[in-house]
Amino acid sequence: MQLSKTWDAIVIGGGHNGLVCAAYLARAGRDVLVLERRPLLGGAAVTEEVFSGFRFSVFSYVVSLLRPEIIRDLDLPGHGLHIIPLESTFNPLPDGDYLATWADADETRRELYRHSPRDADAMQEFGRLMQRMAMAVKPILGIEPPDPASWHPRDLLAMGRLGKHFRDLGARDLHALVKLMTMSSADYLGEWFESEALKAAKSASGIIGTFLGPRSPGTAYVLLHHYMGEIDGVFRAWGFARGGTGAVSEAIGSAARRFGAEIRTEAAVSRVLVEEGRAQGVVLESGEEIRARTVVSGLDPRRTFLELVERQELPDELLTAVERFRFRGSSGKVNLALSEPPNFTALPGNGPHLKGAMAIAPSVDYLERAYDDAKYGDFSRRPFLDIVMPSMIDPTMAPPGQHVMSIFVQYAPYHRKGGWDGRSREAFGDAVVDTLAEYAPNIRSAILHRQVITPADIEAVTGLSEGNIFQGELALSQLFFLRPAPAWADHRTPVRGYYQCGSGTHPGGGIMGASGRLASRAILADGPRR
Amino acid sequence: MSAGRHDAIVIGSGVEELVAAARLASAGLGVLVLEAGDSVGGPAASGEVLPGFRIDPVFPDAGFLDPRALRDLALESHGLALLAPDPILAAPAESGEPLVLRRDLERTRASIAKRSARDADRWVAFAETMEAFAGILEEASIRPPVEPAGPLADLAPYLGLGKRVRALGRARMTELFRVLPLPVQDLLDDTFEDDLLKGALAAGAVRGIFQGPRSPGTAFVLLHHHVGNPAGVFGVRTVVRGGTGALVEALASAARERGVEIRSRAPVERILCEKGRATGTALTDGAEIAARAVLSGAGPARTFLEWTGTTWLDPDFVHAVRMIRFRGGSARVHLALSEAPRFEGLPDTPPGVIAIAPDPDSVERAYDDAKHGAFSARPVLEARIASIADPSLAPPGRHVMSVDVRFVPPGGSTGNGDGSSREAIGDRVIDLLEERAPNLPGAILGREVTLPSDLETRYGLTGGDPFQGELGLDQLLFMRPVPGWAGYRTPIAGLYLCGAGTHPAGAVTGASGRHAADAMIADRRRNR
Repeated sequence: MQLSKTWDAIVIGGGHNGLVCAAYLARAGRDVLVLERRPLLGGAAVTEEVFSGFRFSVFSYVVSLLRPEIIRDLDLPGHGLHIIPLESTFNPLPDGDYLATWADADETRRELYRHSPRDADAMQEFGRLMQRMAMAVKPILGIEPPDPASWHPRDLLAMGRLGKHFRDLGARDLHALVKLMTMSSADYLGEWFESEALKAAKSASGIIGTFLGPRSPGTAYVLLHHYMGEIDGVFRAWGFARGGTGAVSEAIGSAARRFGAEIRTEAAVSRVLVEEGRAQGVVLESGEEIRARTVVSGLDPRRTFLELVERQELPDELLTAVERFRFRGSSGKVNLALSEPPNFTALPGNGPHLKGAMAIAPSVDYLERAYDDAKYGDFSRRPFLDIVMPSMIDPTMAPPGQHVMSIFVQYAPYHRKGGWDGRSREAFGDAVVDTLAEYAPNIRSAILHRQVITPADIEAVTGLSEGNIFQGELALSQLFFLRPAPAWADHRTPVRGYYQCGSGTHPGGGIMGASGRLASRAILADGPRR
Repeated sequence: MSAGRHDAIVIGSGVEELVAAARLASAGLGVLVLEAGDSVGGPAASGEVLPGFRIDPVFPDAGFLDPRALRDLALESHGLALLAPDPILAAPAESGEPLVLRRDLERTRASIAKRSARDADRWVAFAETMEAFAGILEEASIRPPVEPAGPLADLAPYLGLGKRVRALGRARMTELFRVLPLPVQDLLDDTFEDDLLKGALAAGAVRGIFQGPRSPGTAFVLLHHHVGNPAGVFGVRTVVRGGTGALVEALASAARERGVEIRSRAPVERILCEKGRATGTALTDGAEIAARAVLSGAGPARTFLEWTGTTWLDPDFVHAVRMIRFRGGSARVHLALSEAPRFEGLPDTPPGVIAIAPDPDSVERAYDDAKHGAFSARPVLEARIASIADPSLAPPGRHVMSVDVRFVPPGGSTGNGDGSSREAIGDRVIDLLEERAPNLPGAILGREVTLPSDLETRYGLTGGDPFQGELGLDQLLFMRPVPGWAGYRTPIAGLYLCGAGTHPAGAVTGASGRHAADAMIADRRRNR
């Protein structure tokens, strides 16, 4: 019976990284059990029928960063993963104009040319540079960060290889990379482009998930991070999973099961069993004890270290580092069930622009002011909105003729002055709808249902601390060998047999799966007993 | 003409230029220094608010003074005397105890303890860690930057720096990596709880950068200004008796002693180039002066966009120069006073910096205003009454006060976006100071308000930025002044750069002048 069984590995949390880790472990022949607190798999990558007939990617809403090697290794298309590319972007502007990009490169060029001939030219070179930069960073995403304070030959060798990797870029590209790592997206884009609409549209991707404005240094890196996505080898390609983001989790879960993993939902873990400095299994909230030789936490660093294990099991430096690790969720979601599509004043009608990504980000200053509101503890009165309508290309998401709209909203600070309650949640929802209505006035009357999600809600439902969608800010101070803590950035922990695989570990962020895969490699490299 | 040809022309007579000139002359070169203004020093020269009231218009204190420059030039024998004001930083409180930071860590601890026992307990460890980190930056400051993608052999001088970093030990070393790109507010929040302490330190961490304390990279700026200081000495840096202008005078004297000729009222109009090589300078009066090499301390934008022209330059280099961020966001208010201002809660008028920044948010909000184009409604103030430590600066019993005011919109002209006039800015500053020192308005004998636009028109400081390039993480080390040309050499053979626009980003350090001179001397030996 299960009570007496000792698993090779237990993965805590059925988010996409936990599932990826479990799938790789099972594929290597390990006997794996995944424990998910909620009734459905996916963590923040879930599809739920929030309103009857209307299915939403409730939290995470687009797919791009999922590593191609994971898609291949786990044969995710064979498990039902089908990604439909988002082919256009559309940003309505306050003056009644808009800025769009289209699947057709010539059409996009003509559109950019309309705003600025110079920018249309610069975009070609900019795109090439971003592609080179993404290539320069990509290998880093696939390696364990070495410990710079270690004298171990393994770490020294890895540091040497890293040094060589960056030197081999050559001075020109190395300088470009340093700029991307340290500059603000507004300044960086200002070196390339002159059109305010274009700078705003691009700098918006530099602030996603951060508690920074487009003029804050460090946001250019996030811009690059979002350039790193590739679907079918095409950089900067975003897409929906057919059936919503939950379909990604379902596909990975299905692959894990095929390799022999067992997945239990509604099985919330309350703590990790540690005996003599070694993980021995977990205790569920129900009191049930399940034993395993290896325990992997897919939860964020705060939960992994401060909640699941006793403080006495961990060195002080690690505890301090995790306590200082910054979450500061800054975004919310508004999900709308619509009786009809939005009718944008800038581009009326039911055109192809509704099938792509739409955003309300009219100027860099607009985004910066949205950040200003949040700095002092309130949601943005005029927020940045990143909008997609999956039902436009995936009819399974809504009843015929009707639509679902997913609105990612920034900023909504987790630490709101006065906290979040029902009233502030609805006020936040109103600010979002009011903002959108300025550009698409019919939206108000088209709303059949609305779901408003604050960072506090994200935390309550998914367990992500402070509602941070990346399990911890993607800031230079929290990347690579500092993610989540110095000396413990290699997916291991001071507790033998206890590992971490969430996006709070290197490389972190987005539906990428790289953290889960790296963790599985660390576990397999350590052998059956470390 | 070759009979009159100089070995080297140095444009500008600030600290870096004079250090370079003296070093070049010591190596046997015939050096001519050209100063546009009436007296030696340029922006580093002292001025007066009223006759007998001496102030430093741009650089109220010396930065980190490279000890090698002091030693090599025996500046004491040329009249240089350094002062160590104490307390170094005082922050009068709206209510409750003021904060008084001193050179003595224990006495500072006692002052902090009156506001927060927890912060007091953490002060010493914090001060020592920051000192250790600043020590690493100092090591980098006294070395010319190297191109990391360049030949491996060039990296050798940085091995020693790597060793220093390693010697910090695991905990401090990883903490250094964490802190360098951190917002200063996060650094302070990690350690302290008292808003007044955090505000006072945050105010100093946005000096030279047009960002608020919530912006990544500002912890670095705090450390940058801490280089060369003993543990716990934040706020005030090296102070020169007689003002920073006295340092310039000592340097000029040392340079002249080595045979350097210094010509003032000699504004440069062009740097002459032939076949991609600098051959001299043309002055605004039409005179052309030939030289084998030219060293410009005037900053990259003026040097290349105004003086050399772009004929000999690669378009990518020109673009990089145009893209340097010059964002002078500080105004200065200089006051001649009939008596010392008395700050509430402080028994004596402190000789160091008096910070008016009640909390980090006040600094952030001051930045917000300027970021959107307006003079801060409640600017952050760092004031110093230099005549307390150095009575020679004012007539007996009288005082001079200089207030660094942040923020005005970058490069702000008198228009200042929101229409604040020069005098309105001065009035707002006096009003703010009056809240803490009620006797101040009645003591004012004279005042002068300097805007970033004044720094540009008077001293040629592009964008009114005394640092000649914002202290952003992307504009440091091998990226300063522009990537690929950080070694004081330029794409024009025989033309060199020094000054705050080059590594290590200070106008009163002596380090960039020394490094630039060494580059020129090395090239001369190689006959380039």
